[in-house]
Amino acid sequence: MAARVLQHCVRSLARPSLRLCPVSLALRAAVVPEVTVHLPFSFVADSRRTRWLEQSRISSVGLMCRQYGDLPPLTLETIKDRVLYVLKLYDKINPEKLQATSHFMKDLGLDSLDQVEIIMAMEDEFGFEIPDAEAEKLMTPEEIVHYIADKKDVYE
Amino acid sequence: MGSRLPPAALSLKQFLQRQKVLGLYRGILRTIRQVPDEADRKYLRDWAREEFKRNKNATNQDAIRMMITQANNHLEELQKSLLLARS
Repeated sequence: MAARVLQHCVRSLARPSLRLCPVSLALRAAVVPEVTVHLPFSFVADSRRTRWLEQSRISSVGLMCRQYGDLPPLTLETIKDRVLYVLKLYDKINPEKLQATSHFMKDLGLDSLDQVEIIMAMEDEFGFEIPDAEAEKLMTPEEIVHYIADKKDVYE
Repeated sequence: MGSRLPPAALSLKQFLQRQKVLGLYRGILRTIRQVPDEADRKYLRDWAREEFKRNKNATNQDAIRMMITQANNHLEELQKSLLLARS
């Protein structure tokens, strides 16, 4: 789809009489990575104009769905599912006894070393670091979910 | 005015030592993450877990201090090896 758009652009750029309208930055940013693959680099560098996409042609390609390189948005539900999934995979936890409110030390009989391992697993799952001071306070899956939602700005 | 703490509470020194041990464990696990091979990672994780769990119930302050120093040495060794392996 992007290749077709670029072909349009190349043809339209070759015709100097055509006026190029600016498109929103995001769309340009989405297409830019493709440019280095399809167009020779010198061609892009030549056109001193930063606006090189023609808007009317692009709208004819149909509904543009903007695709950014990011993960799907988090919700409280998905965070909770992922946290419980990771906990069920942990070998020292009995999956049947696990609930959102079960305390690691009092209900599940784990110790502080296991809690460190659990928080490390959460760091791996969600891809961000949890500092020591805050990590040692997280003692139930519920607290972990709230902490992650807090850090990742997930409201509901 | 008697102490209102429960009898199982740790003294300040013990509390700080405990925090140090947990911080060390976390540091070791973080460093192990950088090891390239998955099998090596698993082996190192199991080894670290074994070591820490084995000495979990030590009460002698000096012995604990020695073990903390040992763990620190292991951690530095691991970090240096990783640096060398990467260069």
